[in-house]
Amino acid sequence: MKYAVEIERLNVYINGFHALKDVDLRVPQGSIFAVMGPSGSGKTTLLKVINRLIDLVPGARVEGSVRVLGVDALRADPYELRKKVGMVFQVPNPFPHMTIYENVAVAAKLNGAAGSRKELDEVVKWALETAMLWEEVKHRLDRYPSELSGGQRQRLCLARALAMRPELLLLDEPTANIDPVNARKLEEAIASLKGELTIIMVTHLPRQALRVADYVAIIYDGRIVERGPSQEVFVRPSHAVTQLFLKGEV
Amino acid sequence: MASWAVRKLEDRLFVVAVILGSALALAPLAHALAVTLYNGLSTMARAGLGFFVNPPPTPYSASLGGVAPALVGSLLLLALALPPSAFLGLLLAVFTNEFPGSRAAALVEVGARAFASVPTVILSMVAYSLIVVPMRRYSALAGAFALTAASLPYSYTAFSSALRMVPEMYREAAYSIGMSRWATVWRVLVPIARRGIASGVLMTLARILGETAALLFAVGALRYVVPLNPLGPVDALPLLIFDYALSPYKLFHEVAWGAAALLLIVSLALFALSKVVVKGVRL
Amino acid sequence: MSAPVGEMLSEKDKIFYFSLLPPALTTLGLLALIVSTIGAKAALVLPQALAILAANVWDPENERYGLLAPVLGTLVVASIAGAVSLALGLPLTLAVAELLRGRLGSVLQTLLEMASAFPTVVIGLWSARYLAPFLSENVMKPLYSSFGFIPTFSCRPLGGYSLLTAGLAIGFSVVPYTASIMIESYRLIPSTYREACYGIGATRYETARILVSLARPAIAGSVLLGVARAMGETTIAAMTVGNAMNISACLFEPSYTVPALIAAQFGNANLYRYAEPVLYLAALVVLALALALSAVGFKLVSGWRVRIVG
Repeated sequence: MKYAVEIERLNVYINGFHALKDVDLRVPQGSIFAVMGPSGSGKTTLLKVINRLIDLVPGARVEGSVRVLGVDALRADPYELRKKVGMVFQVPNPFPHMTIYENVAVAAKLNGAAGSRKELDEVVKWALETAMLWEEVKHRLDRYPSELSGGQRQRLCLARALAMRPELLLLDEPTANIDPVNARKLEEAIASLKGELTIIMVTHLPRQALRVADYVAIIYDGRIVERGPSQEVFVRPSHAVTQLFLKGEV
Repeated sequence: MASWAVRKLEDRLFVVAVILGSALALAPLAHALAVTLYNGLSTMARAGLGFFVNPPPTPYSASLGGVAPALVGSLLLLALALPPSAFLGLLLAVFTNEFPGSRAAALVEVGARAFASVPTVILSMVAYSLIVVPMRRYSALAGAFALTAASLPYSYTAFSSALRMVPEMYREAAYSIGMSRWATVWRVLVPIARRGIASGVLMTLARILGETAALLFAVGALRYVVPLNPLGPVDALPLLIFDYALSPYKLFHEVAWGAAALLLIVSLALFALSKVVVKGVRL
Repeated sequence: MSAPVGEMLSEKDKIFYFSLLPPALTTLGLLALIVSTIGAKAALVLPQALAILAANVWDPENERYGLLAPVLGTLVVASIAGAVSLALGLPLTLAVAELLRGRLGSVLQTLLEMASAFPTVVIGLWSARYLAPFLSENVMKPLYSSFGFIPTFSCRPLGGYSLLTAGLAIGFSVVPYTASIMIESYRLIPSTYREACYGIGATRYETARILVSLARPAIAGSVLLGVARAMGETTIAAMTVGNAMNISACLFEPSYTVPALIAAQFGNANLYRYAEPVLYLAALVVLALALALSAVGFKLVSGWRVRIVG
């Protein structure tokens, strides 16, 4: 089995605070891998290490081995690494000064994913369709994200990330700030991507993980306390934290 | 604790004092505004459109003449000083915004503050000794140097705060799609901050037009001829106002008021524009 | 197998940093150039600096110079301007940030910002033509005739051009600047303090007293910054101070400030041997004072802001 991400003995300190403790993780290629845990447990930090956005956190120190798509992520050029890893953030952040079309197109152009204008149009259409947003915006591609609802903006961000044709997609609680209807649509879009690329999704909704993910890891206080195929972990949780978490008490 | 009645009285007196104090703070400038507009607009009305195209009068002329040479001179100085001031200010603002923790950025911050504290007449003296003396002539170039130095701290501060207001999440988004540092700055951060930056440009413009002391020993005063040569002497509206106000001729005073009204109107218009430009910010 | 990651590890980041360094260094270099040019030009007379600063004379024909009058004048004018900006800036601050915190307050604040957009030469013109005569007729002459025995009022005003007029005029022009710093600082006071005051039944006056005393360092710093600016103000000074080498306790007579002296005398200074260096020396003195006061003022304000928020 090939792994998209292999993490060994990862320790992250932020201004002295020990945010991630001895994390070991292997994410199979093509799978959807959920990372779950209560707030402050280190989920977002873990994602940020994978695409080197941890570089932006002042006072961060990272130790351990992190291999992403076969490359030593901690030593690689972060700008090159990020071209292969897409990310959707907790709060939708489409570029406000670019049109809907441009938001998606800029990601495609940057990564050489499209050449002529015609090819670009096709990539943009594909990305928006996959993100299940095409029908809602196809007649107003030259309008701005400010005209879209929160849920639509998040799907736009997904389309933007997909336009890169990434091999790995990181999702940080993508449905946290959007309404249930849009959340479902987003989940469908994510599930439809299975097999084409690897997805690591941070969520704090157990049922979402069950619906969408193949594997799940439970993280608590910076440590991975349980991991495995999502069916097993949810049906027969072994760690006390997992049980509490599933009952909504953590 | 004093009785409630006393305290209430103190409170009322306090409010009166605050209102009076505020009024006293603004009244002189309000009076100056009114008086300048009144005197200046009546000069301009009497001089007609010629005010903008004629040279100034001699002390005993029959007509009011105009301020064309000074007006053109001010515009020439603006064209020479605004671009360097804006570009340098923007580059510095980008630098301190990208590397906020670095020692160089801290030095730039200190330097900008120090620059803002330098009396502008000193900038004029430096322009004189570094440019006017070696060139052996007064020039718009020397004036532009002094004006750039005088306005740089303001353009830097305005651009810096515009950039700092861009939410960090857009930088993360740009990086997440593989954008390089340069592209993130010029294709995402600066465009998002464009209204604040435009506002900063307008205020810098206003400062350059209104600055007097920085020009005193740099540009000479080519009072009667419209300047065409950036390497030669020029006049400027503030300089003309300054010289004419101190002169003993009534005619010159009237021209000074006209020029002052012009300068004031332009400054206030730029100020209003800079506020309007920022208003539509929607992130 | 550890890689301490943080800002600037990657090669591309370093290249980016170094590509932006030239403008930063140029600016700092420019600043150094300005200061060193003034210093170098003053070098000729530096050995006699103390003697020049203590003398009161301006006789270029005989190469006799003394900067006592303009230096004292600068200090007096800056002090008056500082007092004005404190006396008027505080009510403005309380109006905008305490009493009228809603729409009326922000209208007032916009008016303040508009006031700081006034070119100083226009204020100078108004001061020369209106403020000076007004003060002369309505303030100086009455004070002279009734209280002439007090040294400060003991001279006949000459059209109103004097240290007092210059101080007031510069004060009025500096108030918007000082007030804006005060207002920004005052707004940083956490609202819990205000709520606590009103919660124990304090009146607006008592609340304001407490909050103002909390903000004392910031207010002092703002005034210092205003004074530093007032020291360097040239156009207004040159148009109102009277341009006379005169030292007296009386504030109604013409006198000099350093910037006004420079404005008046630098143009002809190259006809003489020592006039220019002396003027550069004067500039150096004012530059040093302005930089020092600004630094102290800034430290007070920013230090306080960090403490009040943290």
